[in-house]
Amino acid sequence: MSHDKITFNLDGEALEVVAGTTLLDACRSKGAQVPTLCHEDRLEPFGGCRMCLVELDGAPRPVPACKTNVASGMVVRSGSDSLERVRGTIAEMFMAEHRPATGGRPNAMDKVAKRFNLGAPPIQFPERAQYHDRNRFIGFDTDACILCNRCVRYCDEVMQVTALEHSGQGPNAIVQPTDGLSFLDTSCELCGGCISSCPTGALYEKQSQGVEESSCDTTRTVCTFCGVGCVIDLNTKDGKVVKVTAEQGVGPNDGHLCTKGRFAWQFIHHDDRLSEPLVRGEDGELHAATWEEAYARVAEGLTKVKQEHGADSIGFLASSRCTNEDVYVLQKLARSVIGTNNVHSCAAT
Amino acid sequence: MTNSIAEIEDADCLFVIGSNTTEAHPVLALRMKKAMRRGAKLIVADPRRTWLAQHADIHLQLKPGTDIPLVNAMAHVILDEGLQAQDYINNLTENYDAFAQAVAEWPPERAAEVCGVNADDIRDAARAYATTDRSGIYYTLGITEHVCGVDNVRTLSNLALATGHLGREAVGVNPLRGQNNVQGCNDMGNNPLYLPGYQLVGEDENRARFEQAWGTPLSAVPGLRLDQMMDRMHTGELRAFYVMGEDPLVSEPNLAHVEEGFEKVDFVVCQDIFLNETSRRYADVVLPATCFAEKDGTFTNSERRVQRVRKAVDAPGNARPDLEIIIEVAKRLGAEWAPAEPQVIWDEVADLMPKFYGIRYDRIEETGLQWPCPDRDHPGSKFLHEGAPIRGKGLFYGVDHVPPWEEPDEEYPFLLTTGRTLYHYNAATQTARSAGLVDKQGSNFIEIAPADARDLGVLDGAAVQVESRRGKVDALAVVTDRLSPGVMWMPMHFAAARANVLTGDGRDSEVGTPEYKVTAVRLATHGH
Repeated sequence: MSHDKITFNLDGEALEVVAGTTLLDACRSKGAQVPTLCHEDRLEPFGGCRMCLVELDGAPRPVPACKTNVASGMVVRSGSDSLERVRGTIAEMFMAEHRPATGGRPNAMDKVAKRFNLGAPPIQFPERAQYHDRNRFIGFDTDACILCNRCVRYCDEVMQVTALEHSGQGPNAIVQPTDGLSFLDTSCELCGGCISSCPTGALYEKQSQGVEESSCDTTRTVCTFCGVGCVIDLNTKDGKVVKVTAEQGVGPNDGHLCTKGRFAWQFIHHDDRLSEPLVRGEDGELHAATWEEAYARVAEGLTKVKQEHGADSIGFLASSRCTNEDVYVLQKLARSVIGTNNVHSCAAT
Repeated sequence: MTNSIAEIEDADCLFVIGSNTTEAHPVLALRMKKAMRRGAKLIVADPRRTWLAQHADIHLQLKPGTDIPLVNAMAHVILDEGLQAQDYINNLTENYDAFAQAVAEWPPERAAEVCGVNADDIRDAARAYATTDRSGIYYTLGITEHVCGVDNVRTLSNLALATGHLGREAVGVNPLRGQNNVQGCNDMGNNPLYLPGYQLVGEDENRARFEQAWGTPLSAVPGLRLDQMMDRMHTGELRAFYVMGEDPLVSEPNLAHVEEGFEKVDFVVCQDIFLNETSRRYADVVLPATCFAEKDGTFTNSERRVQRVRKAVDAPGNARPDLEIIIEVAKRLGAEWAPAEPQVIWDEVADLMPKFYGIRYDRIEETGLQWPCPDRDHPGSKFLHEGAPIRGKGLFYGVDHVPPWEEPDEEYPFLLTTGRTLYHYNAATQTARSAGLVDKQGSNFIEIAPADARDLGVLDGAAVQVESRRGKVDALAVVTDRLSPGVMWMPMHFAAARANVLTGDGRDSEVGTPEYKVTAVRLATHGH
């Protein structure tokens, strides 16, 4: 790709950008407030929603900034009154087919309505058939969908599993899993990337339906379901994890997650979690004990074996799921306290 | 990984061998998918027609356990057609002759027969890898979990050295780590031969450094590897076992053998967040620990990046952080250590490990740093071996085919290979507690090629019993053309049907990694 610089004129100011830059990126780099709905930085330019229209000298009508590359000498206006009127009309048309979502996710339409000062739309599309699916992860509030196709394109371009489709025409147009099947019965891998790309909250995490994302605290940490190290935000409410999200542009994952990382967090608060130390009694069963009793038993057991059979008769197995700090002290325990190098992990496998 | 994850999308040729990346590393695979969409060539060597294999330019559907002949044959083609990077070889490598001799023995036609692939596909793969400027190798446990795991890796390293495909962005040799902190666990010295930071325990100078820091003399006797520990349980040489966050009774090979060993051990401590097979049956003491969401610290990912882990919620009941538990155990055994503050412990780590010295909590608040990072101004290392291999000269190895520990025969005519699925993780103690995942994939299954299913009279969805010389497990048959006839595949996740009841005693002769990837089995339909 060429890295040649080209100059053009944006809102009366000469600007230099790398060839291949879209008008949208150029506008944003200068701080111009060009609205978007169907655009997502991780997806290829689409030009579907027309919210990002800008005016171009010599062009018969406004062009979508997301899908138009800057050309040398272009003269561009990003925010004239007539543009704002056109964008406002388009926004109103989207409002006509949109009803507020119930999933709890942020809704970009709120911002759009505010920017263009839109009240209730003059007409409202008929309600769509509600979508019922036995999958427990991905919920779809059909009436909140504005058919921007971000979810469909995410599934096609990023995941490349093509499990969502845009079907029907006009007022009957809908987005749905392939052939209207359950998410469980298509090529869907339940990654939930469609949710993360949905601007209106029509797609949402069923496991936290109705929990307002904005009411959650978030803690930035790292996923534990493989070695990629996806940076995640644990969304918590009342001391419990209720949702996992990831921010675009952050970490090795750039906002992407897999099904385990996004949805498999129930184990954290599962009833089966161990909450008390257990010590095996003379009856051969494990019984709840205090920490003091448990520590005493560990010290006694290890000391006895060490005295009778030597330090090298004790082995330690470290977990590759634990933190660096945890496993560092484990090998230190083995080496400096017990006196053996018998410490290994499943990193051997 | 010699490279960074973000670099993958800039590669122009991806050679993926022994890695079902879209299932085992789904988010990293998105970078591969992005590269493919850009037009990168994809070569996949895998016994299964995985998602990547299905979308590859070349799929080398090799028989499990024949990686060395395949990769040697690719190297053969490269040398034969003069596609090697002669300057790189001359200036930056050694032991080339041994390598050239070894691969001379493996013309593509010979390898094709052993591997069960097409000779011209081997040629095309070799040419694509060698002649593309930005070529990277990606592998995982399909390479390492063999009796010849180390030699398998060496053949890949040979390939990179012969073509000079090392030390640049998106160009290198990349093992993809399976668990969130496999990299860190090894870095931290949880290895019988190495003190933290890969400092050999046998060298006096290294021990002296740690003896001074820890204030206690250290043993110079190399420790036992995990597989050796399992053996020494049998002989009575290993009498106590401290297991942290692991379930050897699901994860180790030949489980009947492992169980016999545990029966003989005097004392077992398990420290975990759930009861598991091992603790339920053999623990004398079970210590309830915290999960990642309940503690602070760091993990090191596959690209050597040390990233911050932060506490979001409280642990249940009286569960305590692993760090605190171990420090308290040490105290009961007479050692007074620094308090259980992750940052204090990390500073101790960084002070003792030169390659990590520059990584400190205040520097990784926003974004993690990749080691080596030797000083506090160092930006971290995006990729390794820039300019020249780190050891000075890249070392070629002459490697020859090593057959698996066990091969199919008349009695056990099928070759079973095992692995992970997208929907579960390891022993599934966490993912099996996600109802949504269980809906998608709830119980054990075995993939069978259509021709084998036909010959055996097994229908898709039928309950079958899979038997090896070590034991048997139940599974539902999935008849699929993802496999070649004679090869079957089973996930390793399900405690109710542990695939490792079947696996054998084969292990790598140098590092002890078990051969999870090749087991001879036979099949019985239920009721027989």
